[in-house]
Amino acid sequence: MEAKKPLYRKNLSLVISFFILITISFVLAIVLAYNLTSKYVENEFSSNKIKVFEEVIKPYNDFFQNSVPEISYYQGYLDSASAAKYAKIVSDRYPFIEKVIFYDTEISNHPITDGFVVRNFSISPKAVYQFAAKNPEDSIVLFKNNQPNTLSLKTADEFNKMAIKFSSFIESLDTTKALSEDQIFSVFYSINPNRITYLNIPRREELGIFQDLMLKKAARSPVFEKDMFSFYLNPAKLALRNPHPELYQQIKIVPLVYELLTEEAEQFQTELALPGAFAGYKLYLSSSPKYLRQEINTRFLPIAGLLFLIYGILAALAYLIYRNLYINQQLFKLQYDFINNFSHEFKTPVSVIKVAGNNISNAAALSDKERQHYGRILDQEADKLNELMNKLLSFTQIENKSIEVKEVSINLKEFTENLIKAYHLNKPDFNINLNLSEPIPFKTDPVLLNIIFNNLMDNAYKYSEPERKVLDINIRKNDLKLILQFKDQGIGIEKADQQHIFKKFYRIESRYNQQGSVGLGLALCKELIKFMNGSIEVQSQPGKGTVFTIELPYQV
Amino acid sequence: MRPFVKLFYFLLILLLSACANRPNVRTIPIEDFFKNPEKTSFKISPDGKYVSFLQPYRNRLNIFVQPIGGDQAVQLTADSDRNISYYFWANNDQLLYLKDKDGDENRRLFAVNRDGSNVRELIPDKDVRIRIIALDRIKNNQILLALNKRDSSIFDAYRLDILTGKISLVALNPGNITDWIADADGQLRAAVASDGVNTTVLYRTKENQKFRTLFSNNFKTSIKPLGFCKESDCMYALSNDGRDKTALVEIDCRTGKESRVIYSHPEVDVNDAGFSFKDRKLLFAEYTTWKNQRYYLDENAKKLFDDLNKLLPQTEIRIADRNLSEDQFIIRTYTDRSPGAFYLYQTKNKQLKQLALINPSLKSDELCEVRPVEYEATDGVTIHGYLTLPKGDQNKNLPVIVMPHSGPDSRNTWTYNAEVQFLANRGYAVFQMNFRGSRGYGKEFWSAGFKQWGGRIQQDITDGVHWLIKEGVADPKRIGIYGYSFGGYSALWGLCFQSDLYACGVSYSGLSNLYAYLKAIPPYYRPYRLMIEEMVGSPKQDAEYLQGSSPVFHTDKIKVPLLIAQGAKDQRVTVTETNQLVKELRKRKVKVTYLLKENEGHLFRNEENRLDFYDRLEKFLALHLKQQ
Repeated sequence: MEAKKPLYRKNLSLVISFFILITISFVLAIVLAYNLTSKYVENEFSSNKIKVFEEVIKPYNDFFQNSVPEISYYQGYLDSASAAKYAKIVSDRYPFIEKVIFYDTEISNHPITDGFVVRNFSISPKAVYQFAAKNPEDSIVLFKNNQPNTLSLKTADEFNKMAIKFSSFIESLDTTKALSEDQIFSVFYSINPNRITYLNIPRREELGIFQDLMLKKAARSPVFEKDMFSFYLNPAKLALRNPHPELYQQIKIVPLVYELLTEEAEQFQTELALPGAFAGYKLYLSSSPKYLRQEINTRFLPIAGLLFLIYGILAALAYLIYRNLYINQQLFKLQYDFINNFSHEFKTPVSVIKVAGNNISNAAALSDKERQHYGRILDQEADKLNELMNKLLSFTQIENKSIEVKEVSINLKEFTENLIKAYHLNKPDFNINLNLSEPIPFKTDPVLLNIIFNNLMDNAYKYSEPERKVLDINIRKNDLKLILQFKDQGIGIEKADQQHIFKKFYRIESRYNQQGSVGLGLALCKELIKFMNGSIEVQSQPGKGTVFTIELPYQV
Repeated sequence: MRPFVKLFYFLLILLLSACANRPNVRTIPIEDFFKNPEKTSFKISPDGKYVSFLQPYRNRLNIFVQPIGGDQAVQLTADSDRNISYYFWANNDQLLYLKDKDGDENRRLFAVNRDGSNVRELIPDKDVRIRIIALDRIKNNQILLALNKRDSSIFDAYRLDILTGKISLVALNPGNITDWIADADGQLRAAVASDGVNTTVLYRTKENQKFRTLFSNNFKTSIKPLGFCKESDCMYALSNDGRDKTALVEIDCRTGKESRVIYSHPEVDVNDAGFSFKDRKLLFAEYTTWKNQRYYLDENAKKLFDDLNKLLPQTEIRIADRNLSEDQFIIRTYTDRSPGAFYLYQTKNKQLKQLALINPSLKSDELCEVRPVEYEATDGVTIHGYLTLPKGDQNKNLPVIVMPHSGPDSRNTWTYNAEVQFLANRGYAVFQMNFRGSRGYGKEFWSAGFKQWGGRIQQDITDGVHWLIKEGVADPKRIGIYGYSFGGYSALWGLCFQSDLYACGVSYSGLSNLYAYLKAIPPYYRPYRLMIEEMVGSPKQDAEYLQGSSPVFHTDKIKVPLLIAQGAKDQRVTVTETNQLVKELRKRKVKVTYLLKENEGHLFRNEENRLDFYDRLEKFLALHLKQQ
């Protein structure tokens, strides 16, 4: 028995090491998940700025791609009224437009006072208007060519720049080729910090005419009208929308050279330079570490929960597997004990029979007394063997539910008294008192009931001190049930053992059962009673005695 | 297009054509409608000994000549880059022809001998644009040309000697002459001057005299000189001066006053007159009611046409060419269901000989009847139009193609139209209408279209579509609008401002920006500028109207799919302008199919480009109009 112990302990150690392993894995996974989450959030912090950027810069792109080229659709035909209308529409649509300067431009080969002249080619503003949708009092006429020499340098700066670009373009133009996108961008757009200037793109044949105006001496030409617009833009008016409030605590537009140098510098920060006319500015996004940690935690919690759930499931599985293993081992142990006991049980009668057989065969002559003696021994031992076999057989039968209950009507009083009488013959020192006032007719299988009575009486006898071998049998009935009570004054059963005594092969180790006990009796009783749709209970006080109470359905 | 998309379209078309309840209607291949004619533009030599024609060589029209009574045709030219757009006999041994290069619409003048030798360009200076003043007759190898040699905006009159290639100035243009007119002897006798609003006809009895002013009129009235009288000092003209409908009149050249009305029609304009160069007299007046009609002014002419009508019953007849002695004629026939044929007719034995069918692959019983219709516009004016229903049992609830004409100062008439027949063959009802601004219905009707490009004109089109729906012909859910040039503009306008009416639209060289249209008037058209501004709108005074009527500013209103075809060398509607439109539409996620052809101008002239366009058109319409 001692040799088996390490086997059980080995299972336990496996289970324990498994628990340790998954616990370590769990802790590692948690740490790793947290680190990855925070890395991920930090990455998102720096990569999602593109989305914020696109959101912020979309109106500017719309303006630059759609509204500015629309000027060309008017083919130079805009005048102060229609230009004002256009300026109002764009200023209303794009809040970052501060004011719009409209140079109503003329191209000809006439001599001019204000404007730009290359050879015969002159570009001059007929009038310059300023439109400010937000401050209507700022909408003023800056210049009109009926008042010559009043064009201020400040008003004319962008105009002159565009005129120079346009003139040099005309001078070197290859009129056989169509305008390339490159040329359009470099000639007709001028992009300065916070300012975009655009000259409407002439038709191809017009460009040829302009070149002729410049290079050829010709008669006074008609006046060609062009529209030039200059837009003053204010980056501070760009609408800032934060599509990722969980990542960015603060979004602002700051000058390109802006650096944060205070103690807040520990903040997470990222930036992106604005394009085009806003090139002097950048989009600056920042969050405090605490703010980001909050986001990390928000994202980490579900992951941690999931990991914990997996851990819990693994632990539960491990426990269940361990429990199954434990039960199987218990069972294995019981069967091992049973075989041990059983072979021992068989051994005693077999060895007695063998001794008796030897004695008989070795004796020269047998006296009558000796013959009777040996005969009785052989008979008794054979009975014992038979009884053992029967017990085993009936138990197996009951377990397999392969016996049939024979219903015979009996008188319980008579039936019990007969049993007690028979018992007295064998065990005259056993004091059995039957407490049954009236004869109760009862329909049952007398063989099965006999086994139950015998077993309980055997136990009462076996587990009592020699001077206190007393058994009280109380039988009574109520409407539905027959209650049989077997009360002895024996050694009693420990509380811990009480729940096990009805189990197969369970045997309490004590000096009272050194022989002839296999731990089947009570288990057999329980099975039989269960088979008869009844129940059995035990109440016991160690050292005082035990009461077995049987309830059977009453039927006549 | 990816192959499986192609396959999908193919199956779709197959399925839809299987669904259509049109038994026994053969789908005529696109090529049969739009391929270059096999033989066309027949002409007869001045001496009446040869017949010339254009025939494709390597898919381009080239000149061929064959003797009358013989079959041996000689190929004179072998150009494989462009079609020859126009040609004529200069004398009995030489022919002249016009051909542009890569669709630049700058047609060059070439000469070739009758046997195909000596092909030469007559005015090699590429910067000079060439207009021929007197196409009909060339006297003594001298041809009158108007060239902008001196100044790109001014065309002077020159005389070119075909044999030597020398040019000599005939008349200097002071700057306001827009047209020169020669008499039957090839003498430059009249000039049309314009200051943009007023037109003045200058006249002289002999070339060595000075021009004197004959009469002046506002551009809203038209006096178009046709030719000069034989004896007295007078000229024939089509005039609506003092009347609404243009009449054929005689003008006394001494006073400049109209001396008599030769013929007028109460409902429509007289649009042409037949003239005999041999006898120098008027033969007939032509006018168009629902179809072309003739009023005979000469007994012999009436007899000639009566004879022809007997030989060619139920067929429309035109005289395409004649020899100098006017006893041999090239006759061109047509009906609504047939592009017709060329015949040679000899008066002395009244013999008619078929020279060629214009398009032998088309059978007139497979084509569809063009029916004149009329409806009332919302302001009560009657609008005339044409409705072509597809063959088949069904004539209600049909898919309809609305096809506004170009111009807008042109008109639809009862004739063979390949596009109409093609669309009708594909199962669509085709609806054409002569909206306000169309020519032929008098001065008032025409001028009602002034500054109404995005107004009354479009309202007339829309009214027509509503009428067609009310009549039950059109399935209101399957109406498409397709047009070329101004028609393309109308299609774009309709999609912008009548977006619930149309399921799809097609603009073929359609203008999208009226500002660009005004800007596009070439420098040499500058005399027309004020006139154009009065007809279309002035960029200053009518800024709001122009902006409101230009589809390019209103792309946000277009919701349905669009097919746009554009030639990269188009000078009227530039590719830049159309690119802008397409860009705007794509930005607004409108489904645009954009067909851009590199070597084409306003009208696609190369056969493969034409076929490609109509193929795309068919698939586009099938996809958006066939499903019910």
